[in-house]
Amino acid sequence: MRVKDGVLKYGFVGPALIFLIAFNIFPLFYNIYLSFTDAELSGGVTQLIGGRNYGVIFDDTRYGTALRTTGLFVVLAVATELILGFALALALQKPFWGKPAITTILLVPMMLSPAVMGLYWNFILNGHYGVVNQALSVFRLFQPQWLTDPDLKLFSILMIDIWMWTPFMMLIALAGLNAIPNHLYEAAAIDRASRWTVFRRITLPLCSPLLFLAILLRTTDALKQFDLVMAVTGPNDRATQTLSALLYQVMFRGYKIGLGSSYSIVILLIVIALATIFIRYIASIQAKQGRETA
Amino acid sequence: MPFLELQNLQKTYPDGTRAVRGIDLRVDKGEFIVLLGPSGCGKTTTLRMIAGLEDPTGGRITLDNQNVTHLPPSQRDVGFVFQFYALYPHMTVQKNIAFPLENIGTSPSEIEAAIDRVARALSIKTLLDQYPRQLSGGDQQRVSLARAMVRTPDIYLMDEPLGTLDAEHRLELRAFIRRQQLSLSITAIYVTHDQEEAMSLADRIVVMDGGKIRQIGSPSEIYTHPADLFVANFVGSPGMNLLSGQIVQNGDNLTFTRPDTDIHIPIRANIAPAQVVFGMRPEFIRPANRGIPGKVILSEYLGSHGYVHVDTPIGELVMRSTDRFATGEKIHLHMNETHIRLFDPDTETALV
Repeated sequence: MRVKDGVLKYGFVGPALIFLIAFNIFPLFYNIYLSFTDAELSGGVTQLIGGRNYGVIFDDTRYGTALRTTGLFVVLAVATELILGFALALALQKPFWGKPAITTILLVPMMLSPAVMGLYWNFILNGHYGVVNQALSVFRLFQPQWLTDPDLKLFSILMIDIWMWTPFMMLIALAGLNAIPNHLYEAAAIDRASRWTVFRRITLPLCSPLLFLAILLRTTDALKQFDLVMAVTGPNDRATQTLSALLYQVMFRGYKIGLGSSYSIVILLIVIALATIFIRYIASIQAKQGRETA
Repeated sequence: MPFLELQNLQKTYPDGTRAVRGIDLRVDKGEFIVLLGPSGCGKTTTLRMIAGLEDPTGGRITLDNQNVTHLPPSQRDVGFVFQFYALYPHMTVQKNIAFPLENIGTSPSEIEAAIDRVARALSIKTLLDQYPRQLSGGDQQRVSLARAMVRTPDIYLMDEPLGTLDAEHRLELRAFIRRQQLSLSITAIYVTHDQEEAMSLADRIVVMDGGKIRQIGSPSEIYTHPADLFVANFVGSPGMNLLSGQIVQNGDNLTFTRPDTDIHIPIRANIAPAQVVFGMRPEFIRPANRGIPGKVILSEYLGSHGYVHVDTPIGELVMRSTDRFATGEKIHLHMNETHIRLFDPDTETALV
């Protein structure tokens, strides 16, 4: 029986393990290997070339620009989504007439495919026939070229991302707010805390572990921003080229698999570093509050 | 002027539940009032309305000459102890206790002194750096008391603060609460369903049932002269023996009797013959050589004394006794006639 139990155990774990190795672990290590080669999609002999690809990254001005574009995008997108999402959650905290309907409507953008939404927004923001500029023209207002003005393009993509992902922040913030028991607000009222004090010393600290988790998820996701850029401006637009867009450009338009692999490894390292910092931080907050760590 | 006055106070919840149906109560400064009643009687709702945590749907609350009926808690000066502590989980014990003082702008050195004083009194000095989650229920309730008592509000409001604690902590904290209240002569309203707690703490007890006040009085008044059948039965453990029967004219004397029995209990009160409910506390019945005959059907032994359930021709009676009896034993009972209480069976209120 014991032997059978052992077999059964591997029977259960096996498929997941095989999946993990085939689609996560092997590609990761193969990617690392490729990043040290001059592999090209067009074929030909692949040779190990040491760290030369990594040297190219730091000489490539596109990479520095993409890094800055991505950084700006992540900071602005996540910060705005956090503030708007939390504000919406605070507004939706107390029950009122029509709250379920409003909540549902607010969640719609999050449920749509980013690539499809990018294409729709392409129509909406089009400088000539887009709905937005047509509306502006009715009022004889200035009509910005949302998708072609180099100063506006990134801003437009940022707006779409905020529109899509603010509901996500709101949802998580709402979960955090709802987890605060009402008797704590009652105790704070008895203790004569002002509204601001209640927010700063009760609501915010008790919500913060979940908010940091939301920031972590959104940051790692925004770092990989690709679909909106692809759909709105294409991957090779200098003003909006994020790291993932650059990676796509190098790998699938320039056919440079080896170089692209090294680009992707650097992105991965950035994501891992940020995630580690965030997770440590969340754990330290929870430890301070005397809760079990997640 | 009473310090706290409730006038026709009412609370009807949006779902139509009438939790409190018109309460009138006048409390003097420094009094310890206990609201006593079964669960759902409206005592907690009444307390929460005094605190401002619940908005009354009718009536008026006056505290220290100020109409506070619809003021939020922050604009009244009340200390509230919650049944389930309601400590801030992300703050240390020290920060929890400091919170109410920080909100009224007390200086850090005064806060420290106040925390030291109250932590000493409640013996929680060693816990100041811990988080609520690390503490036992008893210690959490100590911290909760400390938070309420670190400042001296107009009035202490306590919602079954000892309900979740074990017997040992309950007695200790009960004594602490009373000492603290007496030494600061702060008015206190205390909610409980535990009559022993009510008896031991209260200057006056307010017995509530069904959202209304049944009786207000000192613990001994409540116990010896219950205003109605509900109080007679609810207060005391076990409650008062209650028998329905009638007062009849028996020669020159009035007696209480029941149909199908020739047992007559003399009644000395000035009362006309009528249907009544006859009441007598178990401790005023004792075994005797002659009197009401009966058979022991249950004997509960409690150490210092016991309760003996006796089946008699006038109904089942519970007697408090230090003697022990065997089940089935035939005995006679004597009633102390000066402690007879009579109630109107229709209005359920006391006649004598």
